[in-house]
Amino acid sequence: MTGRPNLWWIDWRLSRGSLVIEAVGRFLFFSFLGFVLLSLLLSGGAFRFLAGNYAVTAVLRPDVPAAEAQGLARKVAALPPVRSAAYRDPEAAWKEFLRSYPGMEALRDDGGNPLPGYIEVRFLPDRLTLADVDLVASALRSVSLVEQVLAGEEGLPRLLRAGRFASLVCWGVFGAFLAGFFLVGTLQERARAVDLAGDFTFLAERGVPPVRLAVFRSAGAAVSGFLLAAAGTASGGGALFLLLRKFPFLEAVIGSPADLLLPRTAAAAVLFSCGAALLCAAAVLLGWRAARPRRT
Amino acid sequence: MIEGFRLGVFSRGRTLWDGLDIAIPDGSAQIVAGPPSSGKTLLLSILRGERRPDAGDVLVSGESLYRGAAGLSRSWRASCGYVPEPSAVDAGLTVADLFRRSALAGGGMRESERKERAARLLEMVGMQGASEWRFPELSASERARATLAAELLRGPKVLFCDGVVAAAGVPFREMLRGLFRALAREGNTVVLVERTIPERWAAAAGDPDPAGPFRVYRLPVPGAAVKGEPG
Repeated sequence: MTGRPNLWWIDWRLSRGSLVIEAVGRFLFFSFLGFVLLSLLLSGGAFRFLAGNYAVTAVLRPDVPAAEAQGLARKVAALPPVRSAAYRDPEAAWKEFLRSYPGMEALRDDGGNPLPGYIEVRFLPDRLTLADVDLVASALRSVSLVEQVLAGEEGLPRLLRAGRFASLVCWGVFGAFLAGFFLVGTLQERARAVDLAGDFTFLAERGVPPVRLAVFRSAGAAVSGFLLAAAGTASGGGALFLLLRKFPFLEAVIGSPADLLLPRTAAAAVLFSCGAALLCAAAVLLGWRAARPRRT
Repeated sequence: MIEGFRLGVFSRGRTLWDGLDIAIPDGSAQIVAGPPSSGKTLLLSILRGERRPDAGDVLVSGESLYRGAAGLSRSWRASCGYVPEPSAVDAGLTVADLFRRSALAGGGMRESERKERAARLLEMVGMQGASEWRFPELSASERARATLAAELLRGPKVLFCDGVVAAAGVPFREMLRGLFRALAREGNTVVLVERTIPERWAAAAGDPDPAGPFRVYRLPVPGAAVKGEPG
């Protein structure tokens, strides 16, 4: 029995106990990070909230027939940046007005409805930009049925800047968590490498090249890191799914649970798992420097 | 056959030895004896392919350890057993850990088989039931014997031991002599380096061959005395 030692999962064979504890800890942390990542991806930072609260209103002329107004709403809804375009007839507009300003019924004492119908246009979270708002507003202004377009263009740049800043803060916090994971992971790997230095020196004295040992250790860490991150992201995604199903009002801020199953969301989760695998491998290599086998 | 040709080592600003020739046939048990600081451990490192000599070369079965393919030296080290002089060790290390390391270096072994063989080997070196003993708490003799037993787990064809006989102490010397002779009789090669060798061993070995500052004794191996002899 003097064969070549199998170096795959060598850490597992040498320090099973500490590895199990670390794996459980990493799985829980990846679950949390996966939850945060998917929430950020679905919400686009703060942009889903902004897109849910911002609308362009096209006030129609008083004499526009309902059928034409609905046709216009359908055309607007077909524009790429638009999530929805809903037509409200004058009666619906009047009821909304009364809900907002109770006691104003006297305005209709003469029998006529003083309010015109309108089309409310809402944007996709990732298309809420100055250019896209301008595109839609310009298109509406060129239509003869439209009397006025209310797009809040004077305050919009400030709103979008605040949204970008909020998104940056969210992603920055996520990045800080990742950096913290890498730092803690490197310290853990360093401690383990020091703990196993005797074993590594033993193997080096018996013809196992230290470079080979380091490569296999980091490859093992990459594979286990990928699996843990994938499992953690899946469980974090599952938790997010249940949360959104239980509290539907959160959809306005985060998004629809169905979006979790979109191919682009899955691709992002796979990319995140690959990144976590790289971080795990890099942590092993950095930690390894603390305990390179000593040659006698 | 392990052959060292014209070996030279320059250390601490001086020539430790130069032009040293040594030949260790397969299936033999040899003792290299030399005074302190004469470079015995260094010679062992050179023969194991661990440390390139400053002059000369080592051939194993006719192939150069230091001028041939890089992989040869590694595979040679992997096939050898090595019992170093007792030194500082990890505080948490147990005797069982030595066997675990040894099994790992040898390519792996089922845990049940490892434990069973470890128990037999420990019993053979007079340390039955010592698996869970903490290594730092062992005496020098126990450390040497436990390390030897762990190396034997892999069944190395060549066994290098540094100061094992001296460390094992008088009560275990004859047991070790019997063990080394048995290993050699089975076709294994045993190379020991010691400061001195026990009188009974020296009497049995006969006149030593000089090699630089060292004297090389050959333990008689019954039934296999001519195996691997040059010429």
